[in-house]
Amino acid sequence: MTIGLSFLLGLLAGSVSCFMVGLWWPIALAVGLFAWLAFGLLDVKMDSTFSLLCGMLLVFCVSLSGMVFRASDQLNGLQYADTQGEDGTEFSYPVPPLGDARYGEAVYKANGCAACHTQQVTHEGVTLDVKAMAGNKNHAAVQDAISRFYKDIGREDSSGAVLGLPVGEWDRVVTDANAGDALKARNFLKAAGASVDVQVRFRGEDLMQHEYLNPEGRGWGRRRSVASDYLFAEPPMLGSVRIGPDLANIGARTTREALMSLLLNPASARAGARMPQHRFLFKKAGKDEQGQHIIHDGEQTYKPTRDAEVLVAYLMSLKSANYPLAEAPINKPFTSSLPNPAPAEAAASGAGK
Amino acid sequence: MSNEPIEDEAKQDPREAVDRSCRGPVLFLGFSAVAWLLVYSLFAMLAGVKVHAPGMMADSAWLAYGRIQPASQLALQFGFLVQLGLAVSAWILCHRGKTVLVDGGYLVFGGMLWNTGVMFGFVGILIGNASGLEGLQMPGKVLPLLFFGFVLVGLSLVQTNNRRTDEEMSPAQWFLFAATLWLPWVLAGSYLLIHFFNAKGVVANVVDWWFIRNFASIYLTFVGLGTLFHFLPALSGCRLVGRGYAQFAFWVMLLFGSIGGVSPGAPVPAWLPALSTVTAVFYFFGVVAACVCIKQTISGASVEDNADGTAYDLMRLAALIFISISVLNVFFAFPGPGATAQFTTYGPAMDLLFNLGFVGLTLIAALYHIFPRLAGMDFCPKMTGVQTMAIILGVFGMIPPVAFGGLMSGDATLGFSYYFASLGDLLLLVGSAILFLNFLGAILFSIKNCDCLAGICCKGEKKETNA
Repeated sequence: MTIGLSFLLGLLAGSVSCFMVGLWWPIALAVGLFAWLAFGLLDVKMDSTFSLLCGMLLVFCVSLSGMVFRASDQLNGLQYADTQGEDGTEFSYPVPPLGDARYGEAVYKANGCAACHTQQVTHEGVTLDVKAMAGNKNHAAVQDAISRFYKDIGREDSSGAVLGLPVGEWDRVVTDANAGDALKARNFLKAAGASVDVQVRFRGEDLMQHEYLNPEGRGWGRRRSVASDYLFAEPPMLGSVRIGPDLANIGARTTREALMSLLLNPASARAGARMPQHRFLFKKAGKDEQGQHIIHDGEQTYKPTRDAEVLVAYLMSLKSANYPLAEAPINKPFTSSLPNPAPAEAAASGAGK
Repeated sequence: MSNEPIEDEAKQDPREAVDRSCRGPVLFLGFSAVAWLLVYSLFAMLAGVKVHAPGMMADSAWLAYGRIQPASQLALQFGFLVQLGLAVSAWILCHRGKTVLVDGGYLVFGGMLWNTGVMFGFVGILIGNASGLEGLQMPGKVLPLLFFGFVLVGLSLVQTNNRRTDEEMSPAQWFLFAATLWLPWVLAGSYLLIHFFNAKGVVANVVDWWFIRNFASIYLTFVGLGTLFHFLPALSGCRLVGRGYAQFAFWVMLLFGSIGGVSPGAPVPAWLPALSTVTAVFYFFGVVAACVCIKQTISGASVEDNADGTAYDLMRLAALIFISISVLNVFFAFPGPGATAQFTTYGPAMDLLFNLGFVGLTLIAALYHIFPRLAGMDFCPKMTGVQTMAIILGVFGMIPPVAFGGLMSGDATLGFSYYFASLGDLLLLVGSAILFLNFLGAILFSIKNCDCLAGICCKGEKKETNA
């Protein structure tokens, strides 16, 4: 017996017990090693097409069930969720495409917009900041809690609240903490009787630009995209290459007119644009035709075809990365007394960019 | 020249009989593959031009970038790679098993179905019936046609393998046998899940990623490796060293190549990208084993027959490309580097390098060796030299600039590297056009010289020369 098959069988046993049975990984590793040794004493011939076929069928079943069926079991249970718009109105999410937008998806698909544009906003990670305020009575206890917290997480910090928390004022206790550390800090501080305020920051190039919360953002969405955003997409055109910007939230950051002129002649909207023109979506307009739908490109005037109308309606309906969900919340700034930019303003300035 | 009476020769050299059984079917598949390569390079160049000149061809919908780009991918993968892969597999399985091709007619009929399917898919994408999924861009209705076409070809290949003279199967046979069975399985699985059971939401994307992963990491890789495992020893006249390594590679790559392919940060449950990283790393162990096997086989060996020099060198180049891509792939499978490369033009450029640089070059090299044995006459040597150079320069002209440009400029921007890429596209177009003409010319010439048509055109003349 070569190392090949016995190792495979060991790996198979290990990965099945880890990923499917759900054993703790060191135990799964031990199971795998044991299986390797056990099968190593057997001899399986690679000369029989029958044994090859059996092995391949086994692998095919593992692959199909381990990746595809497991994912669909989990994702088929997705339901409507409650969310709220930027003005605070609550509604059920996702919203199925209405009116022209229903037909626009087919135009988007047919013309392969997904070859250059993705529809998925990603984030790089989430960090939390914790602030605390202590009064005269509990100041010593809070100060002690802070130093115990830092000792507990094994991190050195020589700034702000660690040196001395001012009495009766909010001050940052920890910045850039992960969820576990932030929870710990909150528990330590609460136990010592301090008031606690937590700020949640999502970082990532794709998200809204914000001076403090996310300095490097491009403003393509308020949160990352998740599976529930695509409940009504047939199929979700996630795309894998961004030769142009992400479109998951395009409806929230542009206008119908801008999209029309971008489709007709991208260079007129943005100098040096490499996006191909889509003149086939437009008809030449007569000289005497007037109206809102007429678009000027140089001397020639155009009017959109039905395809262009529905495509733009579809694009304007794409606002998925805009509404907070339980599994994809948006930034939650400090609510306490220290001066901070108001969240609504921050979001508005991000959207403007 | 094969002007001697064929029956007698078959008795002298069994290889000739094997080649004679392969002749029609393999050349048919090979020719359609080469024709699709020409179609691919033409449309890839058009797609590249669209990036430089946004206003060009903007009045016809079927020439939109988003249509010709996926259509060209279809022509490359399903038209060129799969068909040439099948042709080469058929020939290798015959020669390894020392048997004639069983039911060669299935190969021709299946090949016709497959070609019809690819044609419908290609036209379907151009007229706007694309499915919107990345790996299976063609309209869903085409998939059953492709499936049955492949199954017919596969039936012939599996029967041929079962009729082998030696009981022992060599690594080349395992890999080609597995590839032949695997593609119809994943094709049928994806079709049923996406179009028949109507996978909703991102489940369709998960199935699509699963297909892409299986198609590249199993089907194409196994065809490429199987071809290398046959030809590298065969051309240098030595035996394949390290059967155990090959066996290890086979199973590890099969298990871990069939799972994964989900990019970090995709809008799916987080275990899917994590699982993909894990499988990419384990898959790499299989690749290392395969590379050890290849390295041990070719070290110190040199090509036996100088006529195969080009084929042997091309295969060594392809093996080198395979190793480089595998190392890069496992590096970029980790979330950190992966996030840098994600959404940039690096990803598609690497896929293209894999498709053309590894699988494509391997299969073209195999074609150089097979063709003269089947057609009875060689490609024109001058044209072969030019086309090989043009294809290699084209691959290296169109891919690295886009890949590095993508890594350096990030996503949502396009560097100036696209100008270099168009030069590569042009070279590839020239190379594939010469290959097509070369193939066509040699076939026409050999048909003219062949006994089968001799009665019609120049029988008398030939008898004189024989005498």
